[in-house]
Amino acid sequence: MRYVKLPSENFPEFFEKLKEIGKVYAPVRHNSIYKFDIVQDLSEVALDYTRTLLPPKKFFVKPRDPMFKIKGEEIVELIEEKSFVLFGVHSCDIHALKILDRVYLSEPADPYYKARREKAFIVGISCMPDEYCFCKSLGTHFAMDGFDLFLHELPDGWLVRVGSIKGHEVVWKNQELFEEVTEEDIKNFKEFEEKRSKSFKRELSKEGLADILDLAFGSRVWKKYAEKCLGCGNCTLVCPTCRCYEVCDNWIKAYESLRIRRYDSCFMPTHGLVAGGHNFRQTRLDRFRHRYYCKSYFDPSSGFNCVGCGRCDEFCPAKIEHVKVLEEVREGLI
Amino acid sequence: MNPYKSYDARIIEVRELTPREKLFTLKFLDPKIEESFTFIPGQFVIVDIRGYGEFPISLCSSPTRKPIQLCIRRVGRLTRFIHKLSEGDVVGIRGPYGNGFPLEKMEGSTLILVAGGLGMAPLRSVLWYAIDSGKFEKIYLYYGTKSYEDILFRDEIIYLLKHGEKLNCHVKLAYEVETPSCVYLEKGFSEKVCKGLVTDLFRGEHFDVENSYALICGPPVMYKFVIKELLDKGLSPGRIYMTLERRMRCGIGKCGHCIVGTSVSIKYICKDGPVFSYWDALSTRGLI
Repeated sequence: MRYVKLPSENFPEFFEKLKEIGKVYAPVRHNSIYKFDIVQDLSEVALDYTRTLLPPKKFFVKPRDPMFKIKGEEIVELIEEKSFVLFGVHSCDIHALKILDRVYLSEPADPYYKARREKAFIVGISCMPDEYCFCKSLGTHFAMDGFDLFLHELPDGWLVRVGSIKGHEVVWKNQELFEEVTEEDIKNFKEFEEKRSKSFKRELSKEGLADILDLAFGSRVWKKYAEKCLGCGNCTLVCPTCRCYEVCDNWIKAYESLRIRRYDSCFMPTHGLVAGGHNFRQTRLDRFRHRYYCKSYFDPSSGFNCVGCGRCDEFCPAKIEHVKVLEEVREGLI
Repeated sequence: MNPYKSYDARIIEVRELTPREKLFTLKFLDPKIEESFTFIPGQFVIVDIRGYGEFPISLCSSPTRKPIQLCIRRVGRLTRFIHKLSEGDVVGIRGPYGNGFPLEKMEGSTLILVAGGLGMAPLRSVLWYAIDSGKFEKIYLYYGTKSYEDILFRDEIIYLLKHGEKLNCHVKLAYEVETPSCVYLEKGFSEKVCKGLVTDLFRGEHFDVENSYALICGPPVMYKFVIKELLDKGLSPGRIYMTLERRMRCGIGKCGHCIVGTSVSIKYICKDGPVFSYWDALSTRGLI
């Protein structure tokens, strides 16, 4: 990997240069939350944000996503994507995109997702964990790939890791903005990472978790929390790896309709409902448990389907904590 | 190539099988697709009614016979809509999806088909494939239906009750609701038709369990009972296959609706199934 330094005084100019790629989306503060939104100036960006309400998946798997325009029997694909910059993505969210890649880019690839993925320029940014983060225990607190550039904060600028050809090109074209990395910078980088590593308060014990969950299907803990759960589906909407979608045709004119896909949630009673009225996940207990099994799906090549971003905990109106539920399930088993 | 885009297919025949089910015969408008469209019995397609939506449905014709046929029960919004369509109308078809029954592996063996209600549709594909190909030692079909009026492909079933032996195919039928027509049928084929459940049909039967495969399709409640009977007969779990139903939107393992199982054993019904062996059911919670 190539490492360069971006001095603080060059940061605004670097940000301006990114706009040449396309629209720049970055985390901005919106009342008490943060969200990825279009930005014009660096001053709008919340560089020290904790987590956004909706993860970056919203740019790739959109909440409402028109797929086809249907006019009579004619059906027209709606794939037209422009290059854009996703600025300030945390490493857990980068890992989450990699999980989405495995689903959406596996054969046959989803053309909508693929087009957006290819058009996106991703700039990662270092962060400090808060009380909800448990990414370290899942190994997603540091991204080794999946970004074009990654910015690590230094006292006098940013240590930039170049993660792709597109990233190289940007650095290459704007060489005057970057400097060589010094010993001092590496020391600062290391110090920051060590400090960060010690700041994690929450930890998910993943030792044997997949098997433990398999054995704990009948655990009373599921029932306890399913009763507490409001079934609102918030956790699935804000989850960076939840990706269930529903497809529906909406009429926009007398003879024209749009085939749209939109977010669906396994917490909705209709998620497992088939024509004829049979529901494969009838009770809230079934649905609640299903989400934990889906998030804790263990793929030997890639790990869990959860990246420990803490969104489901922060935005759960019933204050159900992901790590706590899994810990209790584990304790209940022994 | 957009995998979500369906191909135009014209309905060339609509046949009313029962008051609830219709059989649609479809031909792709593009002759190249019509020519190249092949599938394995047990696979399904997604029917696209433009402007209204999509729904998955299993292919009920044999790959040895063209054009393709779909047996559709009027049970929801979209199936109600397709029931209103008639010959000449165009719908979209994409697929085939899923794994289908591993029939190549079963060649030379005896097939025990156990169908309940609408489960007859995907098994009809296997039935005619097995009869047409002649690659199987013997074919048994055990079909449980609600009443005489609910028998799907009634003419074919009665034909096989009469002449099945010549085709190496032995059919037995169980009905639940007694009507004069059933009694009449039972009189005609006293050995093969009876009142009861599908499990009653093969309880006393003897199979060469070392050389037989059971293929099951029916309502969710049926599987456990049928499998228990088959296991009692000594059939190995690896010789029991079933095709399952779930809500499927995409058919290619993206939309997430048909995920079943727990952490280490998560499966997509659309991609990893819809055909599973009983070994899969034992290792995947919630499959049946």
